[in-house]
Amino acid sequence: MSSRVDPITLAVVRGALETAQREMTLTLEKTGRSSVFNLAHDYSNALFDHFPEMILQGQDIPIHLGSLIPAMKEVAEYFGDDIHEGDVIYHNDPAYKGSHILDCCMYKPVFYKGELVFWTVCKGHLTDIGGPVPAGYNPDATEIYAEGLRIPPVKLWDKGKRREDVINLLLTNMRARRDQEGDLNAQYGACRVGERNLLALLDKYGVEQVQACIAELKNMADEQMRALIREVPDGVYTGSALLEDAGHGFGEMEITSTITIRDDKVHIEVQSPPQVPYFINSYEGNSMSGIYLGLMMFAQLPPPYNEGLYRCVTVDLGEKGTLCNAEEPAPHVNCTTTPMETLTDAVRKAFEQAAPERVTASWGHASGINIAGIDPRTNEQYVTMVLASIISGAGATQVMDGWHACGPLCCFGALSSGDIELLEYSYPIVIRRYGLIQDSGGAGMHRGGSGTVWEVEPIDHEMTVIAFGEGREIPTMGAAGAENKLLEPKLGKLVVQRADQSEEIHKKNTILTVKSGERVANFNPGGGGFGHPLQRDPVAVLEDYRNGLVSLEAAKLEYGVVLNADSIGVDQQATEQLRQARGATTTDSSQSTSTKPTAQ
Amino acid sequence: MRSQYRLGIDAGGTFTDFVLAENNGELRVFKSPSTPQDGTIAIKAGLSQISEALGKSIEEIVQSCDLCINGTTVALNALIEKKGVKVGLLCTAGHEDSLEIRLGHKEEGYRYEADFPPAHMIAPRHLRKPINERVLSNGQIDQAMDEQEIRDAVAYFKAQGVESVAISFVWAVRNPEHEKRAKEIVQEMMPGVFVCTGSEVYPQVREYTRTSTTVVNAYLSPVMRRYVEKIDEYFRSLGAKYPVRYFQSNGGLAVGEAMQGRAVNAINSGPASAPQAGLFVGQPFDINNVITVDMGGTSFDITLTKDGHTNLNKNIDFLRYRIGVPMIQVETLGAGGGSICHVDKYGMLQVGPESAGATPGPVCYGKGGTQPTVTDANLVLGYLNPAAVLGGAIRLDREAAIHAVKAHVADPLGISVEKAAFGISTIVNLNMVNGIRRVSIERGYDPRDFALLCAGGAAGMHITALAEEIGSTTVLVPKVSSVFCAFGQIISDVRYNYLASEPMRLDGEDVNLAALNDKFGELEEQGREHLLSDGFADEQISCTRSVEMRYVGQIHECTVEIHPGKITQEKLAAILDDFHKRHEELYTYSEPHNPVELVNIESTMTGHVAKPDFQDLIAKGSSAEEALIEYRPALFDADGHWIDTAVYSGPKLDVGLEIQGPAIVEEPTTNIVVRPGWTLVLESNHCYRLTRRDA
Repeated sequence: MSSRVDPITLAVVRGALETAQREMTLTLEKTGRSSVFNLAHDYSNALFDHFPEMILQGQDIPIHLGSLIPAMKEVAEYFGDDIHEGDVIYHNDPAYKGSHILDCCMYKPVFYKGELVFWTVCKGHLTDIGGPVPAGYNPDATEIYAEGLRIPPVKLWDKGKRREDVINLLLTNMRARRDQEGDLNAQYGACRVGERNLLALLDKYGVEQVQACIAELKNMADEQMRALIREVPDGVYTGSALLEDAGHGFGEMEITSTITIRDDKVHIEVQSPPQVPYFINSYEGNSMSGIYLGLMMFAQLPPPYNEGLYRCVTVDLGEKGTLCNAEEPAPHVNCTTTPMETLTDAVRKAFEQAAPERVTASWGHASGINIAGIDPRTNEQYVTMVLASIISGAGATQVMDGWHACGPLCCFGALSSGDIELLEYSYPIVIRRYGLIQDSGGAGMHRGGSGTVWEVEPIDHEMTVIAFGEGREIPTMGAAGAENKLLEPKLGKLVVQRADQSEEIHKKNTILTVKSGERVANFNPGGGGFGHPLQRDPVAVLEDYRNGLVSLEAAKLEYGVVLNADSIGVDQQATEQLRQARGATTTDSSQSTSTKPTAQ
Repeated sequence: MRSQYRLGIDAGGTFTDFVLAENNGELRVFKSPSTPQDGTIAIKAGLSQISEALGKSIEEIVQSCDLCINGTTVALNALIEKKGVKVGLLCTAGHEDSLEIRLGHKEEGYRYEADFPPAHMIAPRHLRKPINERVLSNGQIDQAMDEQEIRDAVAYFKAQGVESVAISFVWAVRNPEHEKRAKEIVQEMMPGVFVCTGSEVYPQVREYTRTSTTVVNAYLSPVMRRYVEKIDEYFRSLGAKYPVRYFQSNGGLAVGEAMQGRAVNAINSGPASAPQAGLFVGQPFDINNVITVDMGGTSFDITLTKDGHTNLNKNIDFLRYRIGVPMIQVETLGAGGGSICHVDKYGMLQVGPESAGATPGPVCYGKGGTQPTVTDANLVLGYLNPAAVLGGAIRLDREAAIHAVKAHVADPLGISVEKAAFGISTIVNLNMVNGIRRVSIERGYDPRDFALLCAGGAAGMHITALAEEIGSTTVLVPKVSSVFCAFGQIISDVRYNYLASEPMRLDGEDVNLAALNDKFGELEEQGREHLLSDGFADEQISCTRSVEMRYVGQIHECTVEIHPGKITQEKLAAILDDFHKRHEELYTYSEPHNPVELVNIESTMTGHVAKPDFQDLIAKGSSAEEALIEYRPALFDADGHWIDTAVYSGPKLDVGLEIQGPAIVEEPTTNIVVRPGWTLVLESNHCYRLTRRDA
């Protein structure tokens, strides 16, 4: 296409937008008070233009970003003409297309010479939002009203004036007030750092030129996505995924996605069961994130990432009042991971029908914990989500083993677990173990990445532990014939070691307390494998064994590989025999591209 | 009494560069092919050239030097090529995977593909041995160390042929007792094997950064030691007055003894001197926005200096390894004169990152190279004089270059040799432009606001083309450009950073100014002693300090520069004020009502080195014609239209003359291609200034 702007200016504007967004992210990391902000990066920043359309989606948490698109429009519409220079708007409510109420989002309109040109937007997971359970994950809530504070769009700054009364109202409802206040300030700093960068950009290039560049960037994203969709054969493709019962007693549920490709357009339709009185219902904003993530994992497009990407995409979330299109009063706090990741899997599965050569195995789902208590060092209350506890394994692909410790699916590697010393400094805990789990990676020609175990002990106090998520019954979805035989290590679980040395194993979402001298270990799942495990190179299995990632038992059971007596080499003959008996065509993966075992 | 010379030696991937500064300000530059297997061979060869040029013996020259300075890529190359030694890691049980978990983070958003595989593990899982021991965040020992486990682990390391041991325990920064004891055991069981601990290498809070930095250091230090020992011994044998100084990634110098156990401090040894050299050259023109581009035989290094300030990075991912110690920010690509060109299986012309290096070198060197390189293409394009490279030290075979470009690029693509050679030049330029964009545009800096400073022997032939691509209208090419980093090194000071963790709240009873003053005193005394033993006098030593502070509850710190000297209550109040201001400057807000805590402290100790007294060039009043060598056909466009181009001798060109492009200026160690549309002037500070006429 012919461009109205010179290519160097276009590149500089694009770079400046990326820098503005990156510096917003940096501000949150550097100034945030809770470990969720300053260590785990559970926040996302985006820039919008005056329409407001997303003009830069940062490479932050996918589950936040998709929902920002509808939420921004909802917020702007709510205030209509009543948006002024110096205003700062806050919001978390899913009924206004927020993701879940812990994700509090700040929106700052950026005015230039009296004209609204941009919005800087910052969404972050606060460690508490009030309600009966610290950290907000209340498995007993049957309605959204029992989960915590809902914040419809509200102004925290009004024409530059900080509304202490409103801010006080919010903070009064939250635990660990000082952390929440610090994080709110950090969000304000992020929005203003973004604004500062954007104003400098406008000073240099003028509104008209900058807007022309932005239009161009959106067109670029649009064209890339259309070019990709055009390559996928026209047709209707369906994929579904099972959601396990993580403690609600309603049994397994199925989420189905139907994808219709016509030329350069894609329509995604979701069918899910009716909403349930348990915290796993997903409202519209959150479900859009799940769908966009499934699409982007499939597309693997290079940047720019902006709303142009989704111009050729239409979505139907199914009937209102269903699991993936929930409405009041459905409780929802777990939705950013459950059922979001299962919804993403359903979309992934449908794309696997459409273009199997592009699809990778799925990533481990989130099965993690929040912790809370009174810090004996200060007598102050602490509460946090432990994002280190949900770092699962990534999926294998056509060409490589999955990354270890890079999930969960909903975050696609954007999270950080945080340095253990910084966590121990912030909270009265000792982290006894943070390591990879043997045999947790999905078996396949390419192995899934290993999941992690995070084991903690409270120091001199009683700690509340709240488990959330799933992935403790159904292992991560593999692809192209991957198959697991040793299931247990591939699933999440919570293991409590009591003072009397007894051990409890939890497979459901639960709330419990542990004392000094007791330990809680949270295991999360590995990534899915790709291709049949009998086609894995025996030398790779040996290497995994040597590094303790695959046990002797799994080498034999899952991969059909027999090691020598001294376990430092592969017993070629025994391996050959075992694999043939199992029905593999060959033991040499390099000579075979077939992804399914063939009967002899 | 001042010595007569100062010698800078920068050992790059392809060439080893020499700058000899005489105390009357005269500069001489020399080059010899690098000899990675033994760095002293190249140094001997270079010293022989110097000896011949000066008519003095090597010993006499070295003994007349106040300083011999060496920048080296030995650590960097070992890291890039994964040629460090086999490392075993002893770590706290339960945390042996922190190196591989890498904080559970994937560095690039939506990217997940074959070109972006999991990071390489220097110490694979079976060589990371868990030791039962535990220190808590307050420094208390929670669990005593099991020494038998250490012995068992070391026995395994020995059986596995481990050559270097890293020890990094959780919270050792707060209480290094276990690390120290473990080190003793390793030294006892594996005498002669290199061993380092986290609390020595990077004494700062952050277990993952500390462990990773320590492991990288263990991986590289034995390689560095072999190198340094050879160089030191060679210079001692020549009777050098002072030990050789080595250039560190922090932009300062260090003695060999300090370097060989801390190779991690010297990863960016070579290119880290470019920013200060760039500022030095730009100073007479009031230029303090400089992008330096250094194109040698193997790599292309970029640094960016804005308003006179170059970023010093700490705690970054470098080549995907987390490294804590401070480093000058350098972007490096595999693009140099020796970059090999080939046509890939998709029929695309690729240039680099593989390099023909010094041996066999480009085809035209006639030393056995068969794959065409960027230098071969430049020769075909007429940018190089076959008889006048390296002052005539190497004669180039143009026919062989044409043949190689034809066979490996032109014929497979079905195009003419000219088109192929120009295509090679275009592609390598594109690669370099993308690198420049990463340090400028992608960080929001407009490259049009910067002067492009040309360094390295090969950059002169590409520099005006690069400037056009990024829209820069000013280019500086110092006469010493081909040995620019060596030049940067001789104008550098000796610099050591001393880091410590000294956490305390700065309100109420927790303030312990005595402890803080003691700690600074301890660090600075250590530094002063170090510098005195390096041969500095007290009055040549200076100190700067910084502290890292944060609001209580934050995790990341803001760095505040503070004055040396005793910290009193009043001074503390001023430091707090500066912190609030800095926080506001960076993040738009501050919280003056909230408590602040101090975390890390750092003293930078500098041993000042007198700068050579460079004399200005004085115009002789000669004309351009007097410097004209010949007219040579050269190609500046893809259309295959050869232009008869004026070629000038740099050494004969007078100050202040305007040379209009197209033109080529030949210096003994570099050629400057002045593309059509550019004007070149030699300025009195020994620097060519090129400006774009139509911009």
